[in-house]
Amino acid sequence: MQAELVWLIGAVAKGDQAAFERLYAATRAKLYGVLLRILGKPELAEEVMQETYLKVWKMAHTFDPTLASPITWMVAMARNRAIDIVRRRSEVSIEDEPEAQNVAAESAPPLARREMTEELKRLLACLGKLDPEKQRIVLLAYYSGWSREQLSTKLDIPVNTIKTWLRRSLLEIRECMGR
Amino acid sequence: MYDDAQDALAAEYVLGTLSADEREHAEALMSLDPGFAASVKQWERRLGELNVMVEAIEPPPEVWDKIRAQLGASAPAPQSPAAAPGFAFSEPPVVPSAAAPDAPAEELPPLLAGEPGEDTIAVPPPPEPEPGEAATEELPHELSDSITASLAKSLAEPPPPTEAVDRPAVLPAVEPRPERSANVVQLQRRVSRWRRMTVLMGAIAALLALYVGVAQFAPGLGPRSGPVVAQAPGSAPLGARLVAALNQEPTAPAFLLTVDPQRRTMVVRRVSATAELGKSYELWLIASGSPAPRSLGVIGADEFTERAIPANFDLATLRAATYAVSLEPPGGSPSGAPTGPVLFTGRVVESVPTAPRT
Repeated sequence: MQAELVWLIGAVAKGDQAAFERLYAATRAKLYGVLLRILGKPELAEEVMQETYLKVWKMAHTFDPTLASPITWMVAMARNRAIDIVRRRSEVSIEDEPEAQNVAAESAPPLARREMTEELKRLLACLGKLDPEKQRIVLLAYYSGWSREQLSTKLDIPVNTIKTWLRRSLLEIRECMGR
Repeated sequence: MYDDAQDALAAEYVLGTLSADEREHAEALMSLDPGFAASVKQWERRLGELNVMVEAIEPPPEVWDKIRAQLGASAPAPQSPAAAPGFAFSEPPVVPSAAAPDAPAEELPPLLAGEPGEDTIAVPPPPEPEPGEAATEELPHELSDSITASLAKSLAEPPPPTEAVDRPAVLPAVEPRPERSANVVQLQRRVSRWRRMTVLMGAIAALLALYVGVAQFAPGLGPRSGPVVAQAPGSAPLGARLVAALNQEPTAPAFLLTVDPQRRTMVVRRVSATAELGKSYELWLIASGSPAPRSLGVIGADEFTERAIPANFDLATLRAATYAVSLEPPGGSPSGAPTGPVLFTGRVVESVPTAPRT
């Protein structure tokens, strides 16, 4: 799967539309799942899907398989865009997107364990060393795309505490994973 | 190893917990600082695996139709993988994963390649722009987005149409300030100001090609005048913004200095400089061709320090000057000249293109 995706991105970099379609077919559901969870609204998620895949099309030549796996590369692009959108909107009006907030608030972190890669096992082992509350914050932030302020509001924890916990947790993860 | 505060910023950028302003700041740093960009990549690797646990959901079929319809209109992907940074498909290079100085290349659209050159400070010629036209299309769009967003916030009005805000001429809020002394004006966090400034940070990406670090001054010797740089003085219209990253090493800006000639203010943001116990950082301007550094005041302990620009500095001087930060006794140099080591230096680049983009 991984090797095939790397090959496909290589072909996309050369302008191969058929390869692009196959890449889309192989990755669309994952990206859409990630986006829908963060953005909440299907129309928004669909919009960011388009933006992300067009960016993949244009930026395929910059993909470096020694630095990232194809799927993490694509998910990172999609998440970055989604979080940019959520942040800008929520600064205008946080009431703007009750849907997104509800979706995110009601569902627990997804645990649809599929391919449990070695890297993921390692990461989870390191996450597991954190206090449960800190684990939860890190996972909620990743899956729901919540800001510190949102984490603070949702979990009823002062924002400064969130900030400290996040920072400490992330640096602990770094140490645990061997930098 | 990269400094913890910076690494935590990279981590939170990847995790997604930063505010919009902090994200823009992080993105600007990624462009300026290969070390920071590598740090972000590393965090993407560390945390990225979490996506495995996200439930896959089939998107509606029309999403693909829309994507495919836009493929024709968008620039074709570059043809030659050999020209691509760091990646040839036939023969994947063995790249040490941590360092990767080329990593941010994709995020550095050579925007200024298309800008009128005479309005920017003369510096050594920018590196060859990347061949992929893809990248050139990225930034203008996002930049105008961010200008829109920031203006909307700073003016507390609904966002104006994108095309109207692209020009420095309509940039903010206008009342000309009375001149003030060079004393440090230590403000509380001025959120709206910072938001405007982050627009500039976003623009730094475009300026990397023009970015230049100035050799560090020998500690204790005081500054000498920097190399005189040929340029057309005063050619930038009012409203052009100037940004300098004040570095100790070329890869790690400690302060970002933003100069707004129109408002006659400058804002210093601490990036990675830590507070020195019992000492003050003092900012200096060394005018091109003039031996004596002029104090611009002590940099406050907070993240942002804003101050008025002394009246006797004109735009040409501000643009051509070298900026330096020295370590001084608390409250600043007693003598009016730097007494401590000069720790950071940099020169400004123009951050807002002076001609409207097309």
